[in-house]
Amino acid sequence: MEASITLKKVGKLIGEKTILAGLSFGIERGSLVAIVGVNDSGKSILLKLLSGYENPDYGQVFIHGLDMEKRRNQTRKLIGYVPYENDLDPWMTVEQNIRFNANLYSIDEDVCTKRLDKYSSFLNIKPYLNEYTFKISGGIQKKTMLIRSLIHDPDILIIDEPTGYMDAESMRLTWDLLKKLKGEKSIIYVSNSLHEIEQAHDRILVFHEGRILMDGHLDKLLKSTMDYHQFQIEFENLTDDLYKKLKKISTIVSPNRLDNIFHFYGRTRSVFFDVIAVASGEMMIDLNVKKLGLRDLLDSEFAGKGLE
Amino acid sequence: MLLFCLICLPLKNIIRFSLSGIAYDEWVFSGLVFIIGSIYLFPTLYQEYFEQRIHKKVLINIALAPFSKMKIILHTLLVSILEALIMIFVAVLIYTSFVSVPFTMLSMIFILFSLVIHLFLFGNLYISISLLVDTVTIMMLSSSIIFIYIIFGLGLIIEFPFFPPDIEFILNKIPMALPFQTYQKYYATGFIDWSVLAILVIIIYLWILFNSYLLKWRLRQ
Repeated sequence: MEASITLKKVGKLIGEKTILAGLSFGIERGSLVAIVGVNDSGKSILLKLLSGYENPDYGQVFIHGLDMEKRRNQTRKLIGYVPYENDLDPWMTVEQNIRFNANLYSIDEDVCTKRLDKYSSFLNIKPYLNEYTFKISGGIQKKTMLIRSLIHDPDILIIDEPTGYMDAESMRLTWDLLKKLKGEKSIIYVSNSLHEIEQAHDRILVFHEGRILMDGHLDKLLKSTMDYHQFQIEFENLTDDLYKKLKKISTIVSPNRLDNIFHFYGRTRSVFFDVIAVASGEMMIDLNVKKLGLRDLLDSEFAGKGLE
Repeated sequence: MLLFCLICLPLKNIIRFSLSGIAYDEWVFSGLVFIIGSIYLFPTLYQEYFEQRIHKKVLINIALAPFSKMKIILHTLLVSILEALIMIFVAVLIYTSFVSVPFTMLSMIFILFSLVIHLFLFGNLYISISLLVDTVTIMMLSSSIIFIYIIFGLGLIIEFPFFPPDIEFILNKIPMALPFQTYQKYYATGFIDWSVLAILVIIIYLWILFNSYLLKWRLRQ
């Protein structure tokens, strides 16, 4: 598939701190790419680099084969950027903010009106078009920013937290729109909602300390963990002695406890029987076994190393 | 109106004629026009380059549009100058409704020409300060100093020869005062100093260029 965005050894430093460390990857046209990682891992900086808002300290970013630094004006027309924070002009109405952006990109008045009508109907913000943006809620502001970024019909949409500040209905509408746009536009987004990422992605980039730790579809990322299961066994009384004994079982991985609940990972479901063998005399109240998901991948001690 | 009541009416009783023999009413009219323009220019540029920037508002979005920084600076300058000119036009209409101003069409055109150059200089000054300063208190302090300088240090109300010679020499050499000085020279002698105007145009161009780099640096682009 043709590349929409290509990064070649892109790095970003702030002072002496390395924010992004020599990133090289490509994003296919029309794909929906989610970026996930802990706070301060460099996700938002990456979005700023991709949007052209900041320049890399070294390396190159190519948009549709055009060097972003050398062909600035051409590449900027191809990109729509929705930052995390509200950056709408508070003294302009929702419609004026959107039309102002259309003017910046020299969009014809009729075309702008059609697009504004289409997206504002889809996202259900028509009743707010004449409201000043300082008067509307954070969710409506975010939807306005999304429409503003779409008004010049960019090929690439870069969004920092697509559903930030939104209620459930707005989230659904926003994701319906983004999924509809997928294929036609490349969409790259950062989100802290792992549920959203699991539901909407072609590819997930897991970021850690300015590097890509994992890259691929969720199924691929979890492939290495396919045999792993997460276990939670609640004992009537999980004593320190028992916990020490359980921790020593060689087949269990990353054991920890929360009150009387013993939590661990195991490569196969049969690990459970190893635990039973050690704790056969103890009263067990509850048992929970599940396959690993994205949250487990990021939350567990494996994050940073990957499951082997 | 406020400026007229607080500055011109009392000063008119002190200074009847300028040192070059121009009646104070005529002298002060053009000065008032320059003062009003400089003041009206400030809010737009303050909002665009200081308020919007420190609150991370729409300036970022403008900076992402397919325009060079120089174009952004030039366009905002042009729009704010146009707004200031409209306000000046309204103020002049009010002023001339109760004070007769004996100006020829040619003088009015030259006032306008000098005024535009003056506004370009001050617009650039406002942009530079708005981009360099990060706190509201320092911004307020610097803008107050600038306003005091505009009213008393440009020769708009008080002629330079009224100042001690050393201060007069310094004030005379600052480019910000040159558009009005050029206009006054034309009004008193009929001579247009094109070389000064050419220098001012070059200064404006270089200043726009400097502000473009300042904006680029501020936006870390």
